[in-house]
Amino acid sequence: MAVRKFVVFLLSALIVLAFTTGCSKNSGGDKGATVSSETSTGSAGFGVSSKKLTITLWDIATEDPTKGIQERAVERFMTAYPNITVDNTHIQNDTYKQKLIISMSSGQCPDMYIHWGGGPMNEYIDSGFAVPITDLMKEHCDIPFLDAAIAQSMYKGDIYAVPFGGIGGSGIFYNKTIFNKLGLGVPGTIAELEATCETLKKAGYIPFSLANQNKWTGSMYFMYLATRYGGVDEFNAAVDGTGSFESPAFQYAGEKIQQWVRAGYFPDGVNSLNTDDGQDRQLIYTEEAAMMLHGSWQAASMRNDNEEWYVKNMDYFRFPNLASSDKPQNIVVGTSIGNGFSFNIHNDQDKLNSAFILATQYFNDDTYNSEQLATGRIPSIKGMGDTIEDHCMQKIWADFSSASNVQLWYDQYLPPAVGEAHKNTCQEIFGLTKTPAQANAELNKAMRDN
Amino acid sequence: MKKIASLVQSRQRSVRIAATVFLAPVIIIMAVFIIYPIVSTFSISLFDWNGISKDREFIGLENWKMLIHDRVFWFAFKNNLTLMVCSIGIQIPVAIALATFLDGAGRKVNFFKVVWFLPLLMSSVAIGFLFSYALATTGGIVTTISQSLGGGKVDLLGRAPQALYAVISVVAWQYIPFYMVYFLAGYGNIDINIYEASIIDGATRGQYFLHIGLPLLSPMIKSACILSLIGSLKYFDLIYAMTGGGPGTATELMATYMYKLSFSHFKMGYGSTTAAGMFILVTGFALMMQTILKGNGSSNDE
Repeated sequence: MAVRKFVVFLLSALIVLAFTTGCSKNSGGDKGATVSSETSTGSAGFGVSSKKLTITLWDIATEDPTKGIQERAVERFMTAYPNITVDNTHIQNDTYKQKLIISMSSGQCPDMYIHWGGGPMNEYIDSGFAVPITDLMKEHCDIPFLDAAIAQSMYKGDIYAVPFGGIGGSGIFYNKTIFNKLGLGVPGTIAELEATCETLKKAGYIPFSLANQNKWTGSMYFMYLATRYGGVDEFNAAVDGTGSFESPAFQYAGEKIQQWVRAGYFPDGVNSLNTDDGQDRQLIYTEEAAMMLHGSWQAASMRNDNEEWYVKNMDYFRFPNLASSDKPQNIVVGTSIGNGFSFNIHNDQDKLNSAFILATQYFNDDTYNSEQLATGRIPSIKGMGDTIEDHCMQKIWADFSSASNVQLWYDQYLPPAVGEAHKNTCQEIFGLTKTPAQANAELNKAMRDN
Repeated sequence: MKKIASLVQSRQRSVRIAATVFLAPVIIIMAVFIIYPIVSTFSISLFDWNGISKDREFIGLENWKMLIHDRVFWFAFKNNLTLMVCSIGIQIPVAIALATFLDGAGRKVNFFKVVWFLPLLMSSVAIGFLFSYALATTGGIVTTISQSLGGGKVDLLGRAPQALYAVISVVAWQYIPFYMVYFLAGYGNIDINIYEASIIDGATRGQYFLHIGLPLLSPMIKSACILSLIGSLKYFDLIYAMTGGGPGTATELMATYMYKLSFSHFKMGYGSTTAAGMFILVTGFALMMQTILKGNGSSNDE
């Protein structure tokens, strides 16, 4: 009898134990959240901890050159402070956000992680996975970050991120050899761009290379067309509820895209090509396509793939103006931080200081910045772009410096569910499976439901 | 008498103890990894929760109301049903045909046995990547063949209706080997004497297959149907790797939609509702299928 009782007791104990550990894991985020409101205190003795520490760091640098640059920054830090181990994990771009969420919900959030700012960053902050670093930035960081970069790292009046990825604009890369051969100039207006496309089409080229399986790639066309038509105001109004995504700018963008799709300006199977596999660059390299609207980081990628060919053939122009619009035409669609580091380090000022020093003095230091510049990325720091050698990046920097405003990528600015809705509806616009009116109505509904 | 009774009792008791001890690991694993997650999914489905925050707001059945009116979910469910019908309709007959061939031809065709089995050994994600290249509009196999025959580029994964059928074919490619091996094992269980007797009685191969092989395989076919049904209703990996549910929502399945809601849209509460809804639908369909199949084949109690 005693044995049986014992077994039953043991079993129930085990089950209870299993449940409680399961539960406590589930609520792991709580610990962080309760103390997240504490701001950094006691700046006396600022410096890297002298204790043995491990800092976990997650980023998306799975490929060179970024991977090497970031790993070297971490190595320099670990060489300078051998008592600190930085446990650096690289995660592939498109799965990164999901992995980060899982890690947060299971209480395994890394101490230091990258993000793109915008809607998701605000979710992380609201849920207590990022500590404010306003005081640290003010007192212990003399890097002259771009004002737009700091603005993008802020939420409700506090700074939560250290920018490090560099500015990311977008514009049109084009094959100047093909353009010269056909006697084409750089189009200044959208009407001229369409004429250029017609000429290219007649000569047997695909005007735009686009790999839209990833959705955010085609989104750039939508964002630029809408921004050229309605400026940032119409977008902001649609977001805050005073306007709507069914308003003329978005209607114009959708209709223009479908007009271009029907005219054959995009490659066949545009929605099945994948930009992570470089299928859009491939069309540029094989010289089947002549232009590509893409993020400025493509300059670095193309240079890395084949420098000689890139320098000889590729050039860049900004997205053309819409002549009939009275809105400012010098708005850049992109981001002024690229990536930011946020810190999930609570109740341990020593460790937070150490991670902060890693982010500001090893990332963002001269070595790091010059390596970034050498590969065609411009750190979000004042004056940085003036020395860049890459001919495309010089133009991108000039665009950025003279821009009246930066329209942050929709899918990063919008709340996550709305950003996804935008990407889906935009892909359906390209696929001609939804009319612009249907797509925009759906997007607007997602925004209002959120 | 009393003595004997207590002996019986103590024997029963020791059996019970042994049973408890032996069953304990299973019970614990079931409780932790199956029962707890199901209960927890249902309970999270009553909250408005982003998945990471400590605050979750209890909203009762709001999520469930939303699910009932969610166009995307029911569209995904419809895709799941298409996948289910195609899977049962394609995979099982083809698998039976292949198994019959392998069984009839004997050792001579061991080479095919190995080759046909290979797809099952590959991971779904690898298959997904492989086929997204093979079916690519530029430079893919289908396009290359079409172009060499003078046709144009073929866009299989990027357009709405055909994308779903393209991925369904790839799913079939992946799972036919599984059912093939399954039915091959079924043939192995049929007594060789039955085969010999039928041949001596003058049955042709076709007659043997129709009147003897197939009926004897029918219990296996039924369980294969149920496996395929459940598999298709909760399918995820290959579709996610190949199209991510796109273009738009053309190849969205309940599982990919659930995944996106939970991990991309920061809607863990609603994502859990979707998961729970999926659980109910899959269980319902599986039970229904089982009842239907039982009703037909009264001869065997499977």
